[in-house]
Amino acid sequence: MRRDVFQAIADPTRREILNMVAHQPLNLNSVAENFPISRPAISKHIKILNECGLLVIKQQGRERFCEAKFDKLNEVSEWIEQYRAFWTVKLDALGKFLEKDITKGSRKKSKKKKRRS
Amino acid sequence: MKTEPFVIERTYNAPVSKVWKAITSKDDMKQWYFDLSGFKPEVGFEFQFTAGSKEKSFLHLCRIREVIKDKKLSYSWKYDGVEGSSLVTFELFDEDGKTRVKLTHEGLETFPAIPDFARTNFDKGWTQIIGTSLKEFVEKES
Repeated sequence: MRRDVFQAIADPTRREILNMVAHQPLNLNSVAENFPISRPAISKHIKILNECGLLVIKQQGRERFCEAKFDKLNEVSEWIEQYRAFWTVKLDALGKFLEKDITKGSRKKSKKKKRRS
Repeated sequence: MKTEPFVIERTYNAPVSKVWKAITSKDDMKQWYFDLSGFKPEVGFEFQFTAGSKEKSFLHLCRIREVIKDKKLSYSWKYDGVEGSSLVTFELFDEDGKTRVKLTHEGLETFPAIPDFARTNFDKGWTQIIGTSLKEFVEKES
């Protein structure tokens, strides 16, 4: 199974878990009691978050605490940045196309391909 | 933590009808966007196009979800053989004869972050196609 930040945040329960531990480290029980799903299910989500590098589990005495690691999330914004670059280029191209179309005025297109799928 | 949709806006010095045509006409789109397999502004219509680099290209699969003439066009956007699905929405606003375009791309977090996928698609692939080929084409034409 894939283990990266995108896999981590693809699931709403995991996003919620990250939300909870974002402000303060919480032990596994405190996390689990906020969800209607079973404790093993929560443990599995936490394990995935841990494997994806978004969360660390620290043993403190008898308890295990979950702590968020947010530097990994920067990968997400880099990913979004790629789409930003893509759409910026596309919308610039649209602008140029519209300008060109306006300067051409009402001149009709000389050739028109007939290709229907 | 929320995964907010990606939003980008532009205002064009062109009437709404012209912008609408540019985003819904196959011939127009071929000049600035992609060479689509076909296009009809109808809910449920499916179209596809290939984009990427020489080494690797991705077949993009789209299906129209919403059409409000001169106002809103929305379609799903996914990659053949790659998990995840996103939604692209164009919204047009008439502002004193000019047109503001609001583009929203939701669900990007559902795509895998395979480095190869990201790099191919954006750095080498599309940017090159659009930044070089289209630029040359547009400048040659005008």
